[in-house]
This record gives sequence, C-alpha cells and structure tokens, in this order.
Amino acid sequence: MAQSGKGRLNYRCPSCFMRDLDIDMFYDKEKDEYYCIRCQYTGNEEDVLKKNEMARFRYRRMMDRITEFDD
Amino acid sequence: MDRFILNIIHRPEMVPEYAEKVTGHGKEENLGSEKLLTESLDIFKTQQEIAHRNGFRTTIQMTYASLFNEEAVALAKEHHETYRDEIGLTLLGLPCEEFREKYKTKDFCIWMFSMEDKKTIVTDVFEKFYDCFGFYPESTGSYYMDADLIHYIKTQYPSVKCAVATCWEEGPKAYHTCNNSWYTLFDGGPWNPWIPSKANTHAPAENEEQDSGIVAIPHLSRDLIACFDGNGSNFGTHPQNVLRGMIYKDGQYPYLYNLIDQYRSLKKYNRGYAYNMMFVGPGWMNKMGRWEAPYELLLKSYEDGMAYYASLRDQGELEEMTMAEFADFYRANKTYTQPECALWRDILYGSKKQLFWYVDPYLRTCVDMNQGGALVDLRPYAAKIDWPVGIGTKHVQDASYPFLIQEKYRAGYFTHYAGEGTIKSCKIIYQGEEVDMCLCRTKAKFREEGDTRILTLDPVEIEFADLTVKLQTIFYFEEGSSEIKIQRKILEMSRPEAEIEIQEYFTGCYGTTEYPEDMTDIILSCRSTDREESIHYAYKCREAEVENGVCAEVVIPNINTKASVGAKEEVTAYIREGYAFSPMYTLGLKKRMKNGEVLNTWLKVERAD
Repeated sequence: MAQSGKGRLNYRCPSCFMRDLDIDMFYDKEKDEYYCIRCQYTGNEEDVLKKNEMARFRYRRMMDRITEFDD
Repeated sequence: MDRFILNIIHRPEMVPEYAEKVTGHGKEENLGSEKLLTESLDIFKTQQEIAHRNGFRTTIQMTYASLFNEEAVALAKEHHETYRDEIGLTLLGLPCEEFREKYKTKDFCIWMFSMEDKKTIVTDVFEKFYDCFGFYPESTGSYYMDADLIHYIKTQYPSVKCAVATCWEEGPKAYHTCNNSWYTLFDGGPWNPWIPSKANTHAPAENEEQDSGIVAIPHLSRDLIACFDGNGSNFGTHPQNVLRGMIYKDGQYPYLYNLIDQYRSLKKYNRGYAYNMMFVGPGWMNKMGRWEAPYELLLKSYEDGMAYYASLRDQGELEEMTMAEFADFYRANKTYTQPECALWRDILYGSKKQLFWYVDPYLRTCVDMNQGGALVDLRPYAAKIDWPVGIGTKHVQDASYPFLIQEKYRAGYFTHYAGEGTIKSCKIIYQGEEVDMCLCRTKAKFREEGDTRILTLDPVEIEFADLTVKLQTIFYFEEGSSEIKIQRKILEMSRPEAEIEIQEYFTGCYGTTEYPEDMTDIILSCRSTDREESIHYAYKCREAEVENGVCAEVVIPNINTKASVGAKEEVTAYIREGYAFSPMYTLGLKKRMKNGEVLNTWLKVERAD
C-alpha cells in the first residue's frame, strides 16, 4: 500500500471542523477516501462535501444581507 | 465627524505561510524554490492590481525576504510613484534562505525571539530596507508587537508611527483550531486602533508619558461575537477567512459585507468614527486553492471584497488611508482617554444576541445582554501589567493580557456539578428563592452624556412563587474614571410591600488560558468605616462580611492588580474564597430593597502597587 497524500483542494475533516478544529485530511487513493489522522472520520469527496454542508447548520443567517444596525 | 476609514495592506511574502506547506507537500523544504518565489510575487502583484483597479492606494509592507528580491523592490518603488502607495516594513515574512543562514533558526515570529535577537533582527531588517529605498519606513507590524519591541523600534527608528500590533482574540482558541500547533497567543487587546502604552502593548496609554509613540492597528477587523467564542481566523474582514469558516454558498458570502457594514455602523458609538482594515497574506490566495476553495474562488472573494469597499467609497461612505496617514488622523482626532465602544449584534448565527464591548486605557470589558448584562470579560488595563514575551522571559509564547473574567475559558454562569465560573452579575433573593440575572435575556441601547457612555438595558421580569419584580440595569462608563458604575432599579413589584435582597457579585480569577493559576498570593478584604476583614487565599472556602461596607477588594500580586467594588447606598460587603475545585474569588455587595428603590454600585480596577 502506497503512502497517502494531500487530495484535491486540501479538504479538512468535517467532523473536526464542527468542533472548531481545522485539520487537513489525507487521501488514500486505493480506497478513494479522505481520512482524518486525528479523529475517526473517513469519506469520499462527495461525503466530505455533504458533511461540510451539515457543518454550516449553525450559520442561520449565512445568506442574509443585513443592512440595519439600529439599537 | 462621519468617517469610515479603511487601511489596505499587502505584503510580498516570498515564502507565504501555508504556501510552503501546500505547494511543497511531499517535497523537501526549499525556501528558495523558484516556483514558490514566482508564485508568491505573482499573488502580491494580483492583490496590488485589484486594489489599484478599484482606485485604492495600499500600504505595501515589505518583508525581509522581499528586500532580497529586486523585482519586489522595483514593484514597490513603481507603485509608490504611480499610485502613491506607502512603502512600509513588516516583521512578518522573515523566512527565507538569507534569514535561515544568518540566524540559524526556523523561528519566524518576532515577538518570540530573545530581546537580543529582536534588536539584531530589527536593525538588520530596517537597515536592509534603508539600503533598498533610501529612507526608513513610517509603518511596521507583525501579528503581535510586544512593548519592548515597539520601544526599541521607536527609539532606533523614530519615523515609525504606525504598526499592526495584535490580532483581536487570537489566543488559545486559534491554537486549538490549528490542532495545537499555531502559537499566536495574544488575547485581550483592543479590536480597533489604539495607542499602546510603553508598559504593555494591549493596554492603551493613559497619557503622553505612557505613550509608546505609535498608533497600533489590529490585524483585520474581526466579528466581536463570533471571534469571542470561535476561531478568529474565520470571521474577519479577510475574504479568505470567511471561506475558511465555510460561511458561503454558491460563491456568495453576504456575511463579509454584513461584517464590513456592522463595523461602519460603529460610528454611532464612537463620535462618528469607524475603522476597517484588510490585510491578506499571499498564502491565502494560493494557486492550488485552500480551505476546500479553488484558486478561482479565493481570487473572486478578494476581488469582491475590494469592489465592495470601492462601492462604499463611491457613495461617499468610506475613505482609504495608508497606515502612516491613518496614524496622523488618529492622533489628530482621538484623545488618550476616549474609549472605543461597540454594541455588537450577532449577524451570523441568528441568535439576536448583543454584546457591548468597551475599551479605554483602564479596562476592557464585555457586557452580555443575553445574560442580563453580565460582564463576561474583564481585563485590568489600569495595572499596565509588565509582561515581557519571547525567549529568555517567563512567557516565551504567551503574550495575552491577563483577564479577571473570561467566561469562555474559566466558565461563566454555568458550571458542571460544583463550583463557580468567572462573571460579574447580580442575584435577586426572595423567601428562599434565588434568581441570577444571567438568566434574564434582554437588549440594550447606547447613549452619551458628556464624557459618560451609558448602556441602558431593557427592563426584565423576575418571577418568584408569589412575587414578580421588574428590574432595570444601567451601566455608566465615565471617561478616565477606571471604573464601571452599575445601577439596578426596581421599577415594579407585584406586591408593593415586599422586600427582596440583591447580591451584586463579581466572581473572578486571573489568567490567560483555560487552566487555573496559583491563587495563593491573593488577598481578599472587605471594609466598613471601622472594621476590616481579610482572607489570604488558601483554597479554604472561607467567607467574611461587614455591614455598612465601604468596599470589597481583591489584590492579585502576580499581575499587580487590584479590583474593588462598592456602593453609594448602605450595603453589606462580603468576600468569598474559593477552593481547589473552584479556584475563584468573589467580591459582593448585598442590600435589602423595596419597590422603587435603586442600588448604585461600582467596579474599579487599579494597579496593586
């Protein structure tokens, strides 16, 4: 088994991101999966993107344009 | 005044942070890699082109590495001539082959070097700059500039008048976010520009005598709610920070504009003045992409951010200045004691929370309206804590200004199972029932009367089994007083004859991290006109009180700080020692009160010596 490398775009671990931890994942090309060396997350690119969407749950006003800041 | 001022800063960092790790992954480290140097300079050129295309002047902060690159030096000269960009000098971007060869170290953060090395490096970098440009810079900076470093630079190079001197709330949270590998530990400073004192960079100068000689600006303008609780590097006026935080969808990031606009809105708390700074290092616009974002999005976000600033300028809502120009403006328009205020709203999470941040030369604090106006952060700037940093000092990396209250690190109202957390709040007690104001969510309004900033909270209702009490809190921040006045008014009671007890309390500790410090030198005392009770901290859970109390105070020798509380009315003053599982102290004032009565108390911070 060859060593892992950095995958496309430096995907971070979505599970760690949700606990405010930025950690780049490594890519295992034989299994076509990204994995986190700190926690137990593994997933392919599609799963990473899906979980990244989940991580945005806390940003309820992420897409709102706010222009009023009155007291 | 009605001015929103922007500083745009670019640095030609020949070996950008992150870029070497990303571009060079799987290869031996090579700081002189042609590919890396070319790419780095290309990013700098791109950033400059975007700014100029939008009609902005920038402050070019040359790095040590870039001073060895003829093209980078020529570009800076050309842009200075053509666009009137300021040429400054940053102490970021030290890494390069020349630096490694000369200093035989991989260290790159100027504040972490020994004082001897700081002097040698500053001299080397400034003289190299002079050789390249024929003058000394007016602006400099790093992620953090400690007081001794600023003093040395100002003494040797008096032309320097402005410096990037801290990143707001970049401390243990940033360290944790970076898998405990990013040692930028400097919480506790102002979020907007200030004049650092000679003794401690975070603490603003009270007067000319304490003036370090520079105007400090923060690295980025950061979200005062999101960065207090989360990773600072996700929530700032740095488009790629917003991408790092995943605060975007389909290439759109309205949060970035909301953040800029909220900073603009701070004019109303600061006599018409508001400020923003954007300073994106080249590593954040890496050609290989970063934070799941392809280069195209990294680039687009920078272009969009700059275009938004340009649109504000075109509407007459913004003006850009170089760093040196800003320093002149700041000195001409701010006094030493004038505070910086921000009634900050949640613009991201949808909670409707409000925090009121306040900074003056004597203290920094944060009032949380979501906790009934509890103080959730308190830094005793009046103590001007002597805190040298770098190799050879007690604090090699930890440059944070110590807190007395920090509810995220040392708990606030909520604790697990036992003990107390750091908070300044108030308890209402009636017939065996007790309600803490921390559970009374409210909102606030800001106003000024003369030199006093006033924060008026909407009244809250406290429900006991057979009594409802309507209570209002008002905070008074009198300029130059080194104290906060807090007024609690009983507006209504469902049973007018009822009597309640108010306990105005301050539970504190001291430290810079989540972990407890040694409390054994601490002395607690409470005094009346004819009696004093003291407790020398020994984790014994003791308490003492005096009737007709004049004040209750704590002296913390390790940070040369004294904090005290007192009241205008007749109160009982009390002190409480903590214990090993709850290494805190409490200063309190209690009073029995009836409908319509008012309790006026104060909290003061001072130097202990």
